[in-house]
Amino acid sequence: MSETSLNSKGVVISAKPNTKEAIIGILEKAMDKEVFDAVLIPMSVPAGDSFVYVLIKDKSLLKDAVPLSPVMSVQGAHAVSSVTRLGSGNMKIAAVMRPCEIRATVELAKLGQTNLENITLISLDCPGVLPMSDFLSDPKKSMSMFDDAVQKWDDKIMRPVCQICDKSSMVAGDIHIGTLGAKKDTFFIISNSQKGNDTLDKLDITLKDSIDSWQAKVKTISEEKQKKRKKNLKDLKSDIGGIDNLLDAFSQCINCHNCMSVCPICFCRLCYFDSDKVKHSSEEYLNRAESKGSIRFLPDTTLFQTGRMLHMSLSCVSCGACEDACPMSIPVAQIFSMIADETQDLFDYVSGRNLEEPLPLVTYKEGELHEVEDAND
Amino acid sequence: MERKIGVYVCECGPNIAEKVDIDKVLNAVSSLEGVAVAEKYKLLCSVDGKKFLEDEIKKHGLTHLVVSACSPKQHEQTFMEVCENAGINPYLFQLANIREQCAWITEDKDEATEKAIRLTKAAIRRVRYHSSLEKKEIECNPDVLVIGGGVAGIEASLQLASSDRKIYLVEKNSSLGGLITNFEKTFPNMKPTSDIIKQKIQDIAENENIKVFTDAEVEEVIGFFGNFEVKIKKKTEENNVVEFDVGAVVLATGSASFDPKKTPGYGYGKFDDVFTALEFEKMNSSGKISLKNGKAPKSVAIIHCVGREEKGYCSEICCMYSLKFACYLKDKIPGVKVSHFYSDLCIPGKSCQKFYEKTTEKNVDFIRATDVEVIKQGDKINIKYKAENNSKNSHPVDMVILSPAIEPTSDTSRLAEITSISQSDGGFFAEEHEKLGPVSTSTDGVYIVGCAQGPKNISETIVQSEAAAGKILSSLVPGRKIEPEVKTSQISESFCIGCKTCISVCPYGAITFDETKKISVVNEVICRGCGSCTAACPSGAATLKHFTFNQLYQEIVEAVQ
Amino acid sequence: MNEKGSYSDVLVIGAGIAGIEASLLLSNSDRKVHLIEKTSYTGGTVIKFEEVFSNMECSTCMVAPRQQELLQDKNINLLTLAEVEDVKGSSGNFTVKVHKKARYVDMQNCIGCDACFEPCPVSLKNEFEEGLSERKAIYVPCAGALPNVPMIDTEHCIRFKGKDCKACQEACMFEAIDFNQKDEQIELKVGAIIAATGFDAFDSKKVPKYGYGKIDDVYTAFEFERLYASNGPTEGNITLKDGKAPKSAAIIHCVGRDQKGYCSSVCCMYSLKFNHYLKSKIPEIKISEFYTDLCIPGKSHQKFYEKMKETGVNLVRVKELEVEKQGNGMAVKYNNGNKKDSIQVDMVILASSIEPRDDTSKIAKVLGISLDEYGFLKEEHPDVSSVTTSKPGVFIAGCVQGPKNIQNSVSQANAAVGKVLSLSK
Repeated sequence: MSETSLNSKGVVISAKPNTKEAIIGILEKAMDKEVFDAVLIPMSVPAGDSFVYVLIKDKSLLKDAVPLSPVMSVQGAHAVSSVTRLGSGNMKIAAVMRPCEIRATVELAKLGQTNLENITLISLDCPGVLPMSDFLSDPKKSMSMFDDAVQKWDDKIMRPVCQICDKSSMVAGDIHIGTLGAKKDTFFIISNSQKGNDTLDKLDITLKDSIDSWQAKVKTISEEKQKKRKKNLKDLKSDIGGIDNLLDAFSQCINCHNCMSVCPICFCRLCYFDSDKVKHSSEEYLNRAESKGSIRFLPDTTLFQTGRMLHMSLSCVSCGACEDACPMSIPVAQIFSMIADETQDLFDYVSGRNLEEPLPLVTYKEGELHEVEDAND
Repeated sequence: MERKIGVYVCECGPNIAEKVDIDKVLNAVSSLEGVAVAEKYKLLCSVDGKKFLEDEIKKHGLTHLVVSACSPKQHEQTFMEVCENAGINPYLFQLANIREQCAWITEDKDEATEKAIRLTKAAIRRVRYHSSLEKKEIECNPDVLVIGGGVAGIEASLQLASSDRKIYLVEKNSSLGGLITNFEKTFPNMKPTSDIIKQKIQDIAENENIKVFTDAEVEEVIGFFGNFEVKIKKKTEENNVVEFDVGAVVLATGSASFDPKKTPGYGYGKFDDVFTALEFEKMNSSGKISLKNGKAPKSVAIIHCVGREEKGYCSEICCMYSLKFACYLKDKIPGVKVSHFYSDLCIPGKSCQKFYEKTTEKNVDFIRATDVEVIKQGDKINIKYKAENNSKNSHPVDMVILSPAIEPTSDTSRLAEITSISQSDGGFFAEEHEKLGPVSTSTDGVYIVGCAQGPKNISETIVQSEAAAGKILSSLVPGRKIEPEVKTSQISESFCIGCKTCISVCPYGAITFDETKKISVVNEVICRGCGSCTAACPSGAATLKHFTFNQLYQEIVEAVQ
Repeated sequence: MNEKGSYSDVLVIGAGIAGIEASLLLSNSDRKVHLIEKTSYTGGTVIKFEEVFSNMECSTCMVAPRQQELLQDKNINLLTLAEVEDVKGSSGNFTVKVHKKARYVDMQNCIGCDACFEPCPVSLKNEFEEGLSERKAIYVPCAGALPNVPMIDTEHCIRFKGKDCKACQEACMFEAIDFNQKDEQIELKVGAIIAATGFDAFDSKKVPKYGYGKIDDVYTAFEFERLYASNGPTEGNITLKDGKAPKSAAIIHCVGRDQKGYCSSVCCMYSLKFNHYLKSKIPEIKISEFYTDLCIPGKSHQKFYEKMKETGVNLVRVKELEVEKQGNGMAVKYNNGNKKDSIQVDMVILASSIEPRDDTSKIAKVLGISLDEYGFLKEEHPDVSSVTTSKPGVFIAGCVQGPKNIQNSVSQANAAVGKVLSLSK
C-alpha cells in the first residue's frame, strides 16, 4: 500500500500540453534555477528501438526524455548506484524512476552501494512495463500500445510480474508524481521527505492541495493487485513447490547469470557463484556422476538460483529485470517474488520502503522467528 | 613443496580397535593423494605414542599430520604440541574423532568402520588445504582508565595502582566519593559511612600512581585491549583536552534514581514533605530531620518499590536502606512512628534478616500493601492502600519517604558507545556472561563494576571492583606481551564491496570501514575468530583462517558422499 | 620463591565454580595453583543442575569448558580426594599439609572407558544422585564427571574389606587399576590461600511438617534437580516414585528459613526455574508455588519471573503451611492470613535454605580464621570487602562465606584473586 509519510498534502499541477511535457517542464525549470545540476532519466536510443538511462547535463536535451519508458532495459537503481558508488560528488542530481527502481535504490543505499546525499529521487505512478521480447519484435507498435495502456491504466500487455505488482504507486523516494485519481489534465506532486519539501520550496511549489483522490485511487488499485498477486503466487507455489517441481522449474536454466547481472540488488563485485568456490576438480564431478548415475552440465544451476534467493530475497523489489533478461524465458521474477514476499513477511519488512529501516539481516530482535522455530518442535 | 601427509589411527585400547576395523580404514586411505604413510598405534596420547608420532614425522619428512582418535577437546592440544616439537607448524594438523563420534555410538562394526573411513578421509581432504598460522605477540600498556570516582572506582583504583601501573581516575563531578558520601551510615551494621570512604579518598590523594581528574568526562576511547587511546575533556578549563594511553578501562559510573514525578500517585513534587531516599539521606546527614515547617515529624511513611513496575526489576537495596531510614528516624526522633508500605520483603544474604528483626523490634510497622496512593486531606498527608486482607485503608502521616528504583546514569548510552560495549536489561552495561563473566564485557579490556552493571549494595560493589582488579592484574601484566587469537577473519580487498554487513554483525567491534578504499578491514588483534562476518558476507570476501571455504567444503563433501 | 622471600604459589581449597574460576584466573597470571578438592570430581554443586537462571542456560555446557581448561592447564596442580590438614606460617609463607586419599586408579593410564564398573559386585546408593540411583564401589559420580577417572570407595569395596576381588582390575585393558596406591601426605609451600568450599542444603527432615522422608514424592531441591538432569537417574524424565508423571506439583519456598534466620537469596529464583523445568517436560502440569516474600533482586530476574507467571503458575503467599498424605498424593494445607485452604498435588518440591557444610568449622580452624554466627567463614570487614579474612593472605570466596548466586560467587572468586595478585605488588 502506498502512503505518503510526511505530508497528507500535495499540489495539483497542470498537465498541459500533456503530462510528459509538464513533468519535463518542471525539470527544465529546476535546472534553470540550479536546483539540480543534472537529471537521470530514460531516453530513447538513437535507433529508436530501445531506451536507456541518461545523465543529462545539457538542459536542452531534456525535451527528448521519456519519464515513463515502455521497457526497463536498465534497472534505474543500477544507474543511480553507478554514479554515486564511490561517493556523492558535488552534482545535485534528480533521478526520475519507477517506484520499484526507487525502492531498489533505497536498498542499495542501506548496503553502502550508493550515496543519496546529493540525489533527489522522483517517482511516478507506474502502469507497468512491456516484456522486452514483445517490445523488440515491433518497437513502434509496442510504443503506441503502451501509450494507449497508460491512458487507460490497463496492464494486460504488461509483464506478468508487473500485472501482480501492488506497489506500483509506492512512495519511497523524495518526490512522487501521482497521475492516478487526478482531475483531467492535472497530476499531483507529493513530497515524502525533508529533501522533497526543500526541493519543491526552491521551485516555488507549495503543497497546499488535498491528495485524497490520489490516495483513494491508489488504494483501490493496490488492493486489487494484491488480491491478484496473492492468488497468482499461491498458484505458482503449488506448481513449483517441492524439490522435484523446483528442479523442473529451473531445468532450462543455462547458468548464464544474466538475471544476476541485471538485478540491482546483486551488488557483489564477484558473485559467489562465479567464484572458485563453485568450481571443482574433475574428480569431484566424476564422484558425483558416480553416486547419482549422471551429472548435468553446466552443474549447480538450482544451487545458483536458490543461493541467489537466499542472498537477495530480503531486498527483492519484484522489478522483473531478471525475467526480461532470461534467455530461456524462465519466470524467474515471479518465482523470486513469491519467495521474497514470504521472507520479507517473516520479518515484517518491505524492501525499500524506508531508508531508515535497517535490513533484517543485520538486526536482531529477541522475540523474532519463534513461530518458525516452534513449528519444527 | 610436495605434500606428505601422515595418517595415524589410534586403537585407544579396545575402545576403537574393538568397534572399528582399523586395518580396513588404513587400506582405504593409504593410497589417497598426498598420503605418505598410514599406520595404527595402540595409544597415541601416551608418552610412547607421542614419541612415536614425533619420530614418524621426522623419519618420513611429513609435512602434514592426520590423527584419527578421540575428541579434539581431549587431545587436539596434545597432538598440536607433537607437531611443534617435530618441526611442523601445529596448524597443519587435523584430528578426526572416531571415538566419541563413531566407535562409542555405533553398534554395528561394519557401519562404524565405514563411518571411520569417511571421517578419516574427510580429515585428510581438509588438511590438504590447511595453511601454516603463526602466533602473534603485541606489547601492552598496563595502565588503567577508571571512569567514575565513587566507591567502586576508588576501590578499583586503589587495588590496581602500583609503581609499574598508573591509574587515571576520571570523575565528572568536582569531588570523589560518589553517592555514598550522602549517607550518614550504611546498612546492615549502621557504621558511619566515613569509616568506609574517607580514608580511601585520602589514600587516593596520597597515591602517586593515581592521577585524578575531577570535573572531567571521557570523550573518546579508541583501540583495543592493551592499547587504548583515551581523550578526556576537563569541563572547567580552557585548554581542556587531555590525552593518554591505557591498556584497560573500568566503567564504575554508578547509578541514578528513578524520578518519582513519573509516578504522580505518590505525590512527589506535588505535596510538601514527600521526599526521595536521596533527599532524606541528605537531610539526615545535615543533622536535622524536619518537615517543611521546621518541626520534627511525628509519623513517617516509607514507601518501597517506587518505580519497580515501570523499571521491571527489583533494585535489591531499597528494603534494606528503608530499614536504615527507620533506624535514623528512631535514633534522632524518639517516639516517632514509622510505617513501611511494601509488597515483598527483599532481604537476601546472611547479614540482612537480623537487621530487619532488630529494626522492627523498635516499633516499626511493616504493612504489606498494594494500590498505595499518597493524597492530601486538608493539610495532612494520608496514605491510602489496600491491605493484605483486601480491605481499603488509610494511614495519616506527617512525612513520606519514597524508595525509588535504581536506574543507569544518563551517560550510560554514550559511554557504552565510546567503549563499544552494549547495554542489557534495565539499560545497565551488559556483562560478558551473566554467571561466569559478571565484570568483563564483550570488548576485551573493558570492565564494568558496581551499580553501573546492575543494582547492588556497597559490599557487592567493592567485590566487583576487586574482581575487575583481579582480571586486570592477571591479564595485563607489565612487560608481558599479549597473544591475540590466531584463527582470525580476513577480508579480501578485491572482493569486498563495502556493504558493511560484517561490521553490523561483529560482536567485538573488530571490523572498521576504510573510507578511502570503501572496504571493511578486520583488526586481527581484536578479532576472536567467531566467524559471524564470514557467514554474513554475501560475496564471500570475508574468510576465516583455519576455517576457509575449501577446508570446510572438502570435509563436508567427503562426509556426505 | 620470589625476591621478597615469599612463595608465589597459591592454594585454592574447593574445585566448585568459585575455586575453578579463581584457579584459572591465577593461572592466567602465571601463578602456580594447587587446587585441593575433597571429592573425586570438579564442578562442585553447579554441575548438579541441568539449567541455571535466569536464561535457562545449560549448566554443564557452561562449566565443562572451564573444567577442561582446568584439567589441561599446566599451572594448575589439581589434587582430588584431598583435604587440607594443617596450615602454618603467615602471608607469603604458608606451609600447608595436605592429606590425599588414594584413588586406586592411575590418572595417566585410565582413559575413562567405564569397563571396570560392570564387573564390580558391590552396588550402593549414589550420593551425587541424592540416592535416586545406584553406583558401584568403583565409580564416577555421574556421566560426564571430570576428571573422567573412577575412584574406589574403600568403605564399601569388598577387596578393602578383606575379600580377594579383582573384578575391576581384570576388566581394565590399560592397567589403570592399582590396588597398591597409598594415601599421601603432601607438603606445599604457598604464599596465599583461597577457601572456596561451597555449601550444603538445609536438611528438610528437620521440618517434619513438610513431610520429607515420611511421605513419598516429597523431594528436596537437589533431588528434583537430579530428576530433571539429562545425565541423571531418570535421564531427565520427571516421574514420581511409581514411575508415572506428576499431573500437579507444589514448590515450597523458604524451607528452613526460620531455623537458619536468613534468606538464602537464590531459592525464589530456582523455584521459578523449577516451574520452567516442570512445564517444559510436562506442559499440562498444574503448578503452585508457596512463598512468603518474593525475593528476586537484580536487573534480569524479574523478567524471568514475569515469563514464568505467563505459564500459568499459581503463586500463593502463605503464613503457615504443612504437607499431609492424601489419597495417592498429598494435600498442601496452608493459611494465607485471610483463610485456610488446601491443594491436592502429586509432587512436592522443597526449596531449602543454604547452610555451611559440615567441614566448614574444621577449615576455619585449620586456616586460623573465624566463623560467623551462622557457621559461614567470616569476612574481616562486613561493610567493606567480603573476601578478606582476619588472617592476611587467607581469602574466602563463594557460598562458604554466605549464601549467594553463581554470579556473586564468581565475582568473589575473581576478587580474591585480585587480592592475592596485589599482595605481591
